[in-house]
Formats: sequence, structure tokens, C-alpha cells
Amino acid sequence: MTARDRVATAVLHVLLTAGLVVMVGPFIWMLASSFKTDAEIRRSPPTWWPEDPTLDNYSNLLGRLDFPAYFTNSVVVAVLTTVGNLMFCAAAGYALAKLRFAGSRLLFGVVLGTIMVPSIVTLVPLFVLVSNLGLVNSYAALVLPFLAQAFGVFLMRQFMLSIPEDLLEAARIDGAGEWRIFFRIVLPLCRPALATLGILTFLASWNNFLWPLVAATTEDRYTLPVALALYSVGQNRARYDLLLAGSVLVVVPVLIVFVLLQRHFVRGIATTGLK
Amino acid sequence: MRRRRTSSRAVIALACALVLAAAGCGRDSGETEQAEGQQVAEGKATGELTVWAMGTEGEKLSVLAEDFMADNPDAKVTVTAVPWDGAHNKIATAIAGGQTPDVSMLGTTWMGEFAKTGALDVVPADLFSKGDFFEGAWDTGIVDGTSFAVPWYVETRLLYVNKEVAARAGVTKPTNWQELKDAVTALQKEGGAQWGIYLQPGQTGAWQTAMPFVWQNGGEVLDGDAFTLDSSEATGGLEYYGSFFADGLSSKDQLRGGEWEPQFASGAIGSFVSGPWHISVLDELGAGDKFDLWPMPKGASSASSFIGGSNLGVFKDSDNRDAAWKFVSYLMRPEVQVKWYQTVNDLPAVRSAWDDDVLSADPMLAMFGDQLEDAKAPPSIATWEQVAAAIDGELERVAKGASSAADAAKAMQQKATSIGTGG
Amino acid sequence: MSQVRRAVTGWGFALPFAALFAVFMAVPVLASLVMSFTDIRSTDLRDPLAVDFVGLDNYLRLFDDELFVRAATNTAVFVVLGVPLTMAGALLVALGLNAGVTRFRTVFRVGYYLPVVTSIVAIAVVWRFLLQPDTGLVNTMLGLVGIDGAKWLDDTRTALPTLVVMAAWRNLGFSMVIFLAGLQAIPQDLYEAARIDGAGRWAQFRYVTLPVLRPTLLFVAVVTTIGYVQFFEEPFVMTQGGPLDSTLSMAYHTYNQFGFGSYGYASAMSYVLFLVVVALSIAWFRLLRANT
Repeated sequence: MTARDRVATAVLHVLLTAGLVVMVGPFIWMLASSFKTDAEIRRSPPTWWPEDPTLDNYSNLLGRLDFPAYFTNSVVVAVLTTVGNLMFCAAAGYALAKLRFAGSRLLFGVVLGTIMVPSIVTLVPLFVLVSNLGLVNSYAALVLPFLAQAFGVFLMRQFMLSIPEDLLEAARIDGAGEWRIFFRIVLPLCRPALATLGILTFLASWNNFLWPLVAATTEDRYTLPVALALYSVGQNRARYDLLLAGSVLVVVPVLIVFVLLQRHFVRGIATTGLK
Repeated sequence: MRRRRTSSRAVIALACALVLAAAGCGRDSGETEQAEGQQVAEGKATGELTVWAMGTEGEKLSVLAEDFMADNPDAKVTVTAVPWDGAHNKIATAIAGGQTPDVSMLGTTWMGEFAKTGALDVVPADLFSKGDFFEGAWDTGIVDGTSFAVPWYVETRLLYVNKEVAARAGVTKPTNWQELKDAVTALQKEGGAQWGIYLQPGQTGAWQTAMPFVWQNGGEVLDGDAFTLDSSEATGGLEYYGSFFADGLSSKDQLRGGEWEPQFASGAIGSFVSGPWHISVLDELGAGDKFDLWPMPKGASSASSFIGGSNLGVFKDSDNRDAAWKFVSYLMRPEVQVKWYQTVNDLPAVRSAWDDDVLSADPMLAMFGDQLEDAKAPPSIATWEQVAAAIDGELERVAKGASSAADAAKAMQQKATSIGTGG
Repeated sequence: MSQVRRAVTGWGFALPFAALFAVFMAVPVLASLVMSFTDIRSTDLRDPLAVDFVGLDNYLRLFDDELFVRAATNTAVFVVLGVPLTMAGALLVALGLNAGVTRFRTVFRVGYYLPVVTSIVAIAVVWRFLLQPDTGLVNTMLGLVGIDGAKWLDDTRTALPTLVVMAAWRNLGFSMVIFLAGLQAIPQDLYEAARIDGAGRWAQFRYVTLPVLRPTLLFVAVVTTIGYVQFFEEPFVMTQGGPLDSTLSMAYHTYNQFGFGSYGYASAMSYVLFLVVVALSIAWFRLLRANT
């Protein structure tokens, strides 16, 4: 590397690190504040490190909450939703990106259109539908409506557009069927896209609040965000200490999933050898 | 003004609504009238009951449910706790999907809307009587003259005053509007507070601070079916509210919940208006013995405060109506209300519960108890939330000086009238 | 492949998605669309068929609703300022992380993504402190260089731009992740070839990166625009639409209307929002359509 390159890289690192501090600040504050009392959290100017660190918030929440049950519900719902989306959206995205078939443009248009509908407007009709299907208060109710998201299809389609057509043609000439092409060639090339979709879907499902609240009629079907809201928001006041501790509990699995999946943000092997 | 296209269907729907309101029967015709039904003479409840309650009440209600089940061995009560955040949505969608529980806790300001859906059962007159409860609380359950829910616990608002600042200013309990104004001014000038008082300057919920002034001046939100927000009494109340901001006695900027309590504790804010939950908030801040409570001042007509809390209602679709009302009735027993206070610190809605030592011995609680005798709630109309939002918007303009009280009152009246009462 | 064979294959791939979509998305959307042409309120929920059709009444009423007009203006400002800011920021960070940073890559990726997953409550508390007129960090630092800081969240003129900056900060990580994934798809030898031809960094960016990134750019543009047109959480938590409705967004106004129980009216509002998004998305598609 030339000297110029080295300076440029150093500057880049400095800028990115400065940006990182700005990004990470509130998260660190949230983490530190989960060990504070409600009074200390509300103090202005805020303190960084707790004056008198206490595990009370966590023991309070974990003691009152049936944490394993809610955590399990959230995990089951989020994992099922994520896996389902990865499968169905990849397949549909591939079809829309690379297969020309009757009705594909219409499908894409309709799919795109629904992304643009604000989700709150479908809450009541969806609940009435689920209720009429007899699914209220079941895992099916929590998972099915989100199992195939238009957003995911859009994402996969856009990524798959950049797969070189000649690669697929070559395979077809060699006699490979479409499904084989999909599984053997397309999917491995899409690792970054799949990882992205996985992260985003998991996050959305894990943090989902309104639908799990409405769809569950008994506490044993609550997911973690719903259960945590029980303890942290009152009719006239909010308990910031429990809210923040709860937020930390909720965020940890998301970060784990992120760290695990972002390893797949690597160059697709096949593309490097292309002429 | 909204124009509704009338059609025979609308007329029928309207007629049904009136019949519903008057006699409490469901919107589908053919359902037998059983609203004021008699209870089973023996009085023991049987069967299964599902109960929804929000927040801490939901968490702790199982304590009382166990007592009830001990009393009624053939009954099984399942309590589902529902977060406050989203509870209104949850109940509305449950009504839409036909998935309502037997009994549910209901916020006092939701009554008009949920009663109008026809989903609520009329309160049986033989189990509950108006005189047992605080008048303002009982009124929150009344929609179009029929009672659809029973008040469970209540809260009302008093003035919290920083003792030291008051001592420095040499002020004592004000009894009327002028005295309150003078007292707050003194808190700021002689008492050394940056703000003599903190009143919410508009935005969500500000009506709970401003409406009491309107009521104290003799004004009302609704008279029959017509709004009276621009009456001279109402305008007078708004002027009084606005004068605190105009005279520089209260911050015109919204202070977020949690930001101003420490300022009150340190004396930067001399006083504020709130309910009983702030006693424990200030306690946690270490300011538990640093404040006094003042009652609402007397305006031209009364010294009314705002009454809130929650009610209990039974749903029409309940399979176990008798047991449901018996459970509600159980929760209204004075000794159970006292036990509930000891469990979650909710003030009883039943008046005789206040005779108990637990409540009568505490001077601060006694003050809340006294204020509850003169506390009002807004009318239980289906459109209240929307009217309240319009009022809040105008209150913000008054507080920030963007509008005079008279203009704001007129604007409120015009908006409320165009929204209508949802009848 | 024959037409029929192609149709069968294509729909075969798309079927699971299409089936779920038709039931759980299309049906509720159609139902809510119908709702928007009636005067249905929450009080009608037990008997939803006994309501009146009011045609376009709900839609026309919107233009008389001064709050709606205000909210629409606010949202327009938010989108025009926020989308480019967020996209540019996210792209820069993604490029930087992709090219220049080899060590601690995971730390950077996770770090920039954190605001997306941090609780909005925590974010609100921290930002409110930063922006406090007297003791906040921002005004303190401005004071050091002699500038009198404004009452960021309490002044009707500065509240909205402040929320734009906060939203950009918050949403940057989301777009960054997608850009990072997209950048992986660019074959290295294209850069090689460009370098051999004597192209500098900027030219490489313009002629190699951007074109291949086009589909990703389109995706991020559309999704970010949708997100900003529907912006809700920031005003909801930070300012409750104030001061004096200067931060009221269309989505917030719609949320309020749903809260009031005006389901028909609120649905109409949602579909107006939808039309706006469709229009903007078509514009993006025209601009960034991938040339096959």
C-alpha cells in the first residue's frame, strides 16, 4: 500500500470509529442504566455508570415473569417465521427475478403494493379473519400471517437480479432442472441476501408487539415484548428501570442472531471466478 | 360539518342504537331482554370465568381470584394480564372478532365507545347501587342513561407542594382561585422556585389538568346532547388555566414525565397537579417527606377535581353471566376493596371502604378521599377520545400564547360539535 | 421451455408464498379497503355489515382536515430531508466497512446496527438529554464555539429537522446492512479490470460499484421511502406530534384516528398514504431501474 493509501485508511478508521461512538452511545447507556433505580434513570443530567449498581430490575422481572415460557414463545415464533420466510421468499424471489412466466409482473406489482400499505390498517380485519379460522391464541395465529412477507420477496428478487444469466443458462443446457439450479447454484450465491433477510425477519418477528398482544388471549401464549410491557407501563406512569432491563433482555438474542448471520456477508465464491 | 347520507339502513341502525341504549339489548334483534336480570338466590358462583385486567392489577388480581374461588369452590377464575400499552386495541379487536372474555377491566374514558358497540352487559340493579360509590366514579360507567360498568378503583388529582418552598414563601392552603394564584406567585417570588407550578401545557392528557378549572367555574363539557365548551363559565375556566402560563408561573414547554419530579424535589418547581401514584414516585426519589397536599381551589361554583381509575364490565357474549357479575360484586365488597388497596395501592371506589383504618388513618389518603367526594369525569360519549384530542390541541395554543382563551373555547366548541357525540 | 411449462415452474416456486399472501395479506387489505369507503367506526365492530357506504366521502374529507394537511406537509419535509440523508450515510458507512476496514469488522457492523435494535425508550431518554436547551450536550458544545443553541424539541421550527436527524441516525444501520450484502455481490475482477484501465477510486465507484449495486439501491430507496412516509415512532415517543403539531406525521395522525375508532376515515387516510408511497416508488423505479 502506498503512503497515501495508509493515510486514507487511517482517516477512514478514525471517522468510522467516531461514528461508531455516536451509534453505540445510547445502547451502552441503556445497558448501564438497566442496573440503576428508576429515580436515577430519570435524573437530569443523566448519569452514565450506575451510582449503586443493582440487579434488582433483572431479579424483579425474572422473578415475576415466567421468563422461560415467554422466551420460548418468542423463540419458536421468531425461528419459524424466519425459516419460513427464507424458504418461501427465496423461492418466490427467484421466480420473479429469473423465471419469466405468465402473471409474474402482476404478482410482483401486487406484492410490492402491499408493502406500501401501513400495517395498522389490516390489524382488525386480520384478527377477524384469524378468529373466523379458529386460530386465535395459537402458534399458528402468531406465525402464519408473517410467514411469507412481501418485503422478503422484494429483497430476494432484487438480489437475485444480479445473478448472471449465463450461469443459469449453462446449467440448463447441461440438463439441470429448475429446482436443482435453485438449490445448487442460486441459493449458495445468495448467502449475503439470505443472511440479511434472516436478520431483518428475526428482528421484526422478535420485536413484534401489537399482533402477538391481540392474537393471544391467555398469558401462556404471550411473547416476550408483550410480557415485558405488562410490568413496565402503567396507567399513569412508566417504570423506566423495568423497561430498560426488559429491553436489554429482549435485545440480546437479536444481537446473537445478527453476529451469527453477518458472517455470511462474504463474497459469493462463484462470482470471483467469472469471466 | 360531516354530512351523513341518510338511508333507511341508517335509520334502522340508529333506532337499534337508541333501543340498545334504553333497554340494553344487543344490536341483533331477537335477543331476549335480560339486562336487569335477577341473580340466582343462593349466590355461589359456578363454572369458568375469564377475566382480563391491565398492568399491575392484572398481575395481582389472581390473589383476589383465589379468595373468590375459596368462597365459591365450583367456580374457576382465570385472570389474563394485559399490558396497558395496546389494551384499548386488544379489547376493540376482541369485540370485532367475538373473542371477548367474561369480565374485563376498562379504562373510564373507554366506556362510551365500548358501550356503544353493544358488547357490554347492562349492570344488574340488584347487585350494585349508585350510592355505594363515589358519584363521579359511578357516572363514568353510565352511557346514555344506562350503567354498563361498575367502578373498581379510582384516582383523583390534588396539588403537590414543596414544603420548603411553601415555608419560605409563607403560604398556606389556598381555598379559592385568587388564593391559589397568589400562593403560586409567592412560591415563585418569595419561595425561590424557578416555576411556581407545573401545569401540563397542552398535548395528550392536558384536559385532565384544565377541565377541573372549567368545572370549578361552573362550566360543563356537554349539556344533554350539545357541547358547551364555549360557555362563559367554560371560557372563564380556560382563562384561569391560561393565566398561569401568561403570568410566567408555569413552564410553557412540555416537561416529560420523569424529568420534572426531580426538579420538584429540589424546589425548582414549586407545585404540580397529580394523582396518588406520585406519592410513591416522590418517595423513591427520597422526597417522601418534602411535600404537602393541597385540595383543589374553589372556583365560582365548586372545588371539583378530575376523577379517573378503572371500571369492571361484563361482556354480553359471556357464557357465564351470573358468575361474572358475582365476581365483580365480590370485588366491590368493602373488605375486599381494602385488601385490594393493600395489595396494589389502588384507591377503593366503594365509599364505605374508606372507613377502614388502613385508609382513614393516613392523612394524605384522607385528603384524596375528601377530594373524591367532589370529583368529576368527562361525559361517557363514544367520541370522547377524539373530542379530548381536539381540546388538548387548543389547550396547547392557549398555554403557548398562540390563542386567547375565548378563541380557543370557540375552536374547541366548533371541533367538538363537528365530531359529535357518536350517538 | 414452453409457455405452459414456464408458468407451472414459475408458479410452483411462487406458490407457498402466494397462498399465504393471498389469505393473510390480500384478504385483510381488501377488507380494509372496503372499510375506507364506509363510515364504519369501532362502535360498529360487532355488526360491521350494518354501516353505510359513503363512497369517496372519507377521502374528500381529508382535504378539509387541517391536521391532515399539516401532517402531510410535515411528512413531505421528513421524506425529502430524511431519505437522502439516511441512504447516503448508510452507503458511505457500508463502503467504508467493506473496503477499508479489515480488523474488528464485526464490531463495526454490530455497532452501526445497534440503534436499529436499541429500545426506543432508551433512545428517547438519551436524545432528549442531548437536546436539552440548558444542560444538553449539543447546546453545550455549540456554546463552546459561541453559538446559542435553540430549544430543539420545543421550537416549532426546529423540532421536525431534529427528528429527521434522529431518524437518520437510527435507521442508518438498517440500510447499511443491506448495502453491505449488496456490495458482496460485485465481482472483484471488475475492479481489477477497471484498475488496469487506469480508473481511480471515484471512477471505480461510478462505473463498477454503482451499476452493479443498482437493484440494491432501488430496494433501499423504496424501502427507506416507505419507512419515512410512514414515520411514526420518533414523533410518538419524542414529541407526541408537538409542539403545536409541527411534528405530526401522517402515520401518527392515522394512528390517532384508529385510536378514536374512526375506522373508515383512518382506513381512507392509510390508503392515501399508500398512494403517495406508490407514486414515490414508481419514481424510484424509473430512476434506478436495473438495465438488464
